[in-house]
Amino acid sequence: MGRLFWEVIQRSTTGPIMSEEEFETERLPSVLASVQAKYKIEADPDEPIMADPDMADAVFKAGMELLLELGLYCQDTKRVIHFTEEEIKEAIATARHEVVLGQGRDEMRLSPRAPGDTKHPYSWSPAGAMTTNIDTYRTHALTVVQEPACDGVIPIPLFGVNDTKVVAETPAHTLVCLTEARIMNDVAGWAGRPGLFFGIPMSATTPITLMSTFDSGLYNKHNCTLPVQILMDMRVNFDRFNLVFFAEQQGLEPWMSCSPTLYAYLTGPEQGAIEIIAQSLGMLAYSGGALTQAMSVSVHGVYSGNDISWCNSAAALAAERNLQLPWLSIGSTVDPGGPMSDGAWYGTALSIINACISGMEATWLSGGSTGLEARWAGEISRAAAGLSPSEGIEVIKKILTAERAPAPPSTKIDKLYDLKTLRPIPEFVDHYKKFTRIFKEWGLEYPSWDE
Amino acid sequence: MATIEALRTLVSETKPEEAAEMTAELLAAGLDPMEILEAGVMDGLSDVGDRFAAKKAIVLDLVRAGVTAKACIPLIQDAFPEGEGQQYDKKIVLGTMLSQHNIGKNLVSTLLSIGGFEVIDIGEKNSPFDFYETAEKSGADLIAVSVVFAPAMEKFTELIDLLKELKVRDKYPVIVGGAVTSKAWAEKEGADGWGEQAKDGVLLARDLLGIA
Repeated sequence: MGRLFWEVIQRSTTGPIMSEEEFETERLPSVLASVQAKYKIEADPDEPIMADPDMADAVFKAGMELLLELGLYCQDTKRVIHFTEEEIKEAIATARHEVVLGQGRDEMRLSPRAPGDTKHPYSWSPAGAMTTNIDTYRTHALTVVQEPACDGVIPIPLFGVNDTKVVAETPAHTLVCLTEARIMNDVAGWAGRPGLFFGIPMSATTPITLMSTFDSGLYNKHNCTLPVQILMDMRVNFDRFNLVFFAEQQGLEPWMSCSPTLYAYLTGPEQGAIEIIAQSLGMLAYSGGALTQAMSVSVHGVYSGNDISWCNSAAALAAERNLQLPWLSIGSTVDPGGPMSDGAWYGTALSIINACISGMEATWLSGGSTGLEARWAGEISRAAAGLSPSEGIEVIKKILTAERAPAPPSTKIDKLYDLKTLRPIPEFVDHYKKFTRIFKEWGLEYPSWDE
Repeated sequence: MATIEALRTLVSETKPEEAAEMTAELLAAGLDPMEILEAGVMDGLSDVGDRFAAKKAIVLDLVRAGVTAKACIPLIQDAFPEGEGQQYDKKIVLGTMLSQHNIGKNLVSTLLSIGGFEVIDIGEKNSPFDFYETAEKSGADLIAVSVVFAPAMEKFTELIDLLKELKVRDKYPVIVGGAVTSKAWAEKEGADGWGEQAKDGVLLARDLLGIA
């Protein structure tokens, strides 16, 4: 945990009292607007990526100033936790720059990589399906873990265990999360990958479920991390502190995460990037984590668009140049078209190329929920690793203007895979080959099975 | 000079004090309260909504616009001649599902009240059961749900399922609206009506409750 952990808890009981409404509707917007103006941070709506080192440094300074000026709001005590510049600088100076996740052949060492680095970002694909049917969930996961280019997985939240639906904050919730963990271990073992990394427990949303799941040992310090993320728009609560302390006690890697919602209290991607930096520094101070996930989403319900990719790239580049924490963002655009749509495959490529040229160390939720999409994500990650920012932006602009065939009706796993052999059906392979051809024509050379 | 167009601009620019002052001036000048409400306040709100859809405004602007409207609406309500507004013997349970947002919901509440309905406003952070329980206790005729954040969408589905399970789905028409909703989504989830704007709530209620 962070050096300031105990101090932060004390400050949560002694800091200035403020209503949450004042914090979110007055203080946050005014300080954000002020630092954005001071550092002249403006996005070009026509540019999908922010690759300017000077602006990245400005985003970092603005984020630092936002944290120092605004502080973190503790929902339990209605008080603001403030930091000094020296404290945050010390947190940065003593931060870890490398984390090791997974074991054995699946061990990953996430260490700093610059934009254009030939070392590829690790690709963590979703495993499972949004269902209560355990067999369906397992089948999806099996198709993913068998893919060699899939470096780790992120379990998709289970909705229940067959007839037992999730009832939040009850043992049913823990049962569902334990089932998720059991299936992840089972399928990884089946694929001969017992050291595979499973990301975070995605079916758990409460501290008690998280702690109970780790207590089982199915998720542990080798194969999983514990979310200690800050709450939306610079807020914390006692749950966050309890999770940090639990991570410390169990030797678990904290999963720091921030997902700003653009157009709620933030005016656009610039403020999203600034807030990501401020929140990351706040988390760093209290949790002592290193692994940081940062992705923006729009209040309009989308994960794609120039504003989203600009925000994610600006924050990542700012962090890469000034923090060098192991950094990741989303590896898809959550396209609703499904596995056979063009939009989903282009979206995955766009997000992963963004990660490559913005200096990220990994992507999560990369691709879709099928193995072939995981393969696509992992291969694109390797293929785009050496691209310079300008080369990457050129490819991204081609993606944005590429023609897209109408998305076919949603297709289930049994129509995409031969469930006896777990091999994709020829039509699905053809879809994959179509994209490998397109990207090879655009100059990406990489090892694939499209021979 | 006080004009309805100027009031619309003040609401759109979210200036509550100035908008309230101008509303009072317009009423004192004898302009039709309904005209002030619709062409001044409601259209001003629509302007903010349009800017929001174009990513030129944020949720906070919608909130501020709601505060501005709230500063004007009581003045307009008071200006309606006593007994002029028709009152229907129809009760509507209205609330925000899950989240703490209330501006859109409050606006719908005001418009439904002006429109002659008895509104039972159950506030914010409601569960599906809250809507059902209040409807049963109050003898409501319709349930209106504000869904502003994505997690609340799932809860709306739970409400529809709950009403079916308790065999009261036919008893309560359910309408929905809010920032994250769409007509297609509302229809898919089984809502009886979807409102894009606050004033749509009144039209839907009239239609579903058979009021000409």
